[in-house]
Amino acid sequence: MSKPKLQARLAALSFSEKIKILERLRDREKAIAAAGLRRAEKKSKADELQRSHK
Amino acid sequence: MKATLELINQMQADGVIGKYTIGGAVGATFYLAPAATVDVDVFTTFPSESAGPLLSLGPIYEYLKARGCREEDEYIVVGDWPVQFLSPSDELDREAIAESVSIEIEGTRTWVMTAEHLVAIALRTGRPKDRSRVLQFLEQRAVDRSKLHRIIAQHGLTSKWNQFEQRYLDGKDE
Repeated sequence: MSKPKLQARLAALSFSEKIKILERLRDREKAIAAAGLRRAEKKSKADELQRSHK
Repeated sequence: MKATLELINQMQADGVIGKYTIGGAVGATFYLAPAATVDVDVFTTFPSESAGPLLSLGPIYEYLKARGCREEDEYIVVGDWPVQFLSPSDELDREAIAESVSIEIEGTRTWVMTAEHLVAIALRTGRPKDRSRVLQFLEQRAVDRSKLHRIIAQHGLTSKWNQFEQRYLDGKDE
């Protein structure tokens, strides 16, 4: 299946189903971060959002 | 997520926060394919706005900690999701909260930003992942272009849009 088709199929899922996928993705992100496989972000999101207003 | 939203709704019913809406990656997931994120962005007003723009999130944290939630970096973990509470910093944020869409997740009522407000805020924020989100909304035709352009013009984002269009759309915007 092409990437656009897959994206469209995923987008068409119910929000509850998509939340379940988000939870699995979140757990994977956490596991990657815990294993030290991702560089820590230096700035918090709040800083970034604040900066975007200036 | 259900437990997270139920506690936020209870906090709203108890008058700690006013109207709220989900933005960021979780909000975008209502319209698009799910994209990895570690937190939920909740934009909220407060029952008393008289204190001005520098509002303290103290009462929110106090309320949630008393109910077993814990702080983790810039988040507070509510249920099984880290949540970042953001007070509106400008009129675009306030409008995004006011015009948010009421939805239900697993039987729990909540609110998400409209697709057009999510795109406008992503355009304003401008990090690589925000630009990628804007592109996704456009490619998947998940926004009402005329409404988006009205919001962009109304909130002074026209030059940012023009730069984005020039760099990523190559004049293909309809």
